[in-house]
Parts: sequence; structure tokens; C-alpha cells
Amino acid sequence: MKKLLSLLFISALGILLLYVVANMPPMGDPGAPTRERVIPRYLEEAEEETNTTNVITGIILNYRGYDTMGEVTVIFCALACVLAVLGREKRGRIYAFVDRSTTPSSVIVKTMVRFLVPLIILFSVYTIMHGEISPGGGFQGGAIVGASMIIFSTIFGLWEASERIPQKLRAPLEGSACITFFLVGVLGLIGGGNFLTYAWPRISSSLQPAVVTWLTVLVEIGIGLGGAMVFISILFSMSREEEEIAPAA
Amino acid sequence: MGTTLNVVIIALLVATALLAVFSKDLLAAVIVFSVYSLLMALMWQRLQAPDLALTEAAVGAGITTVLFVITIFKTHRREER
Repeated sequence: MKKLLSLLFISALGILLLYVVANMPPMGDPGAPTRERVIPRYLEEAEEETNTTNVITGIILNYRGYDTMGEVTVIFCALACVLAVLGREKRGRIYAFVDRSTTPSSVIVKTMVRFLVPLIILFSVYTIMHGEISPGGGFQGGAIVGASMIIFSTIFGLWEASERIPQKLRAPLEGSACITFFLVGVLGLIGGGNFLTYAWPRISSSLQPAVVTWLTVLVEIGIGLGGAMVFISILFSMSREEEEIAPAA
Repeated sequence: MGTTLNVVIIALLVATALLAVFSKDLLAAVIVFSVYSLLMALMWQRLQAPDLALTEAAVGAGITTVLFVITIFKTHRREER
């Protein structure tokens, strides 16, 4: 009975979704509203209006700023949920399963990781800072920093990793993505425009391109830092072990 | 040439997706799922969306896989009947 009911519900949902898809303009239709209005506007004027060479960054941070702000909040909520269920690690010694292993990591692996991690972090900084010119941006850069900490904590153990990026540093920075976005939005209000206006109407138009560029870079840095810290915090609180099953040596 | 590669990638995508769903060994399912993400990143790049390809490779193939592996490590590896 329960199975039948859920099957009915799922098929009703499926039919609804298919109905919506069937009513959408066909893919590649030249007469579709997005083709006629949205795409030409983005492609022709994004570079001038948002001062970003990478049009996608301009769209994500400028035209669809509200959308991205919501996404950033969702990531922060994910962290909040993980911490609510698993709890944040206590200050002091924390361990993962790797720390309990009695087999030491080989010298080759350790040296390679020591050599690679700074390069990965450098690449992520490039991805964040260069985001308005080339593909990439805050989210991607933050994820790459998180990946570098995954390698580090797998080889050197969670204890070493949490020494490098301590909780004292992570906790204030986790919300930085939401905070910078909100601050930039409020600055737009002060500058005389709407919430999240990058080109402030109150300042002279010759200064506006520089202001837009720097605000975009600021938001990118905020998203990158916040995203990286959120990823690392989730990783740490998921991989840590409870105190009772603490280390062998 | 281009079309053939697209067809191959899409066929592999469907195959890896089905394997990930039907595999009883959850660790194998996670690894297959990360392969799916890498193929998807390749596909995004072929569709000229490098931003999405970067995100898919970093988040889908990297971070999600590790979080899944940690979860499996702390629970059970095999699906219960």
C-alpha cells in the first residue's frame, strides 16, 4: 500500500515535470525569449556593464547577484547542519583514523605532498583572483583549497592539518562569503543605487569601472575564503574520531 | 570525430550512472560516481563551459567523493538486504 502510494506520488510528479518541459520553448529555437532578449544583452553589454572579461563571472556576480548570494547562504547552511549533527571538534588534539595507523607514510609520498600542497593553493589563489578574466572564481578556488587540505590530512593526519588551519582561524572566516556579499550590497545602497548595485550612481562615471572591478574582486575573495573554510570545517568534523577511540601511539 | 567522442562520453556517462546506482558495494559505487563526475567535467568542457567543468572536477570528483568515502568508512561498506 505504502509502495503503491509513493509510486503514485512519484509518477504524478514526473508527469507534472514532463508537462512543464513540454511547454518550454524547444532547445535552440531562435524565437525563444532567452534567445531574443537575454543572450544578446549578456553577450553584447556584459563586458561594458560589469567590467569583467569573463562574461560568466559578470552574470553570476552582477546580473544574478541575488541568486549567488542565496547559493552562498545555502553552503553556509550546509556547514551549520553538519556542525549541528556532528558537533565541532574540541580545541586541542583531534584525531582521524589516519592518526591511529601505526604504519608511517612513505618518505616519497610525504615529500610529494609537501611539494604539491603549496602549488595547489597557489593555483586556487590564481583561480580566485583571475576569475573575472579567465574561467574560475570564488567557488572553484575555495573547492580547490579544500581539496589540498584533503590530501594533506590524508597523509599527515588530521592533527597536523588542524594545526595548520586551526579552529580559531576557521570559525570567524566561515561566514565571510555571506558577509562580504551583504556588505557589497549595502555599499551599493550607500552609493545611491539598489541593493547589490556595483556601479554606484553617486560617484563620477570615470571612477565607476574601477569601483566595479574592485567590488567584483572583493566578492570573489570573500566567496573563496568562506567556501574554503566551510569545506575544510565539514571535512574536519566528518573525519574526526570520538575521543574514546583515540590514537594507538 | 567530435560527434563520435560525444557519443562515447555519453554512453560511458549512462553506464557509470547505472553502475553507481545498482552496485551493492558502496565503495565501488562512490568510485564509479567520481568517474561519472570526471566524464561530466569533460562533457562540460566540450560544451564550452569551462567554469562548470572546473567546478564539477573540483567538487564532484574531489570533495564529494572524499566525504562519501569518510561516511562509508564510519558506517558499512555493503548495502544491507
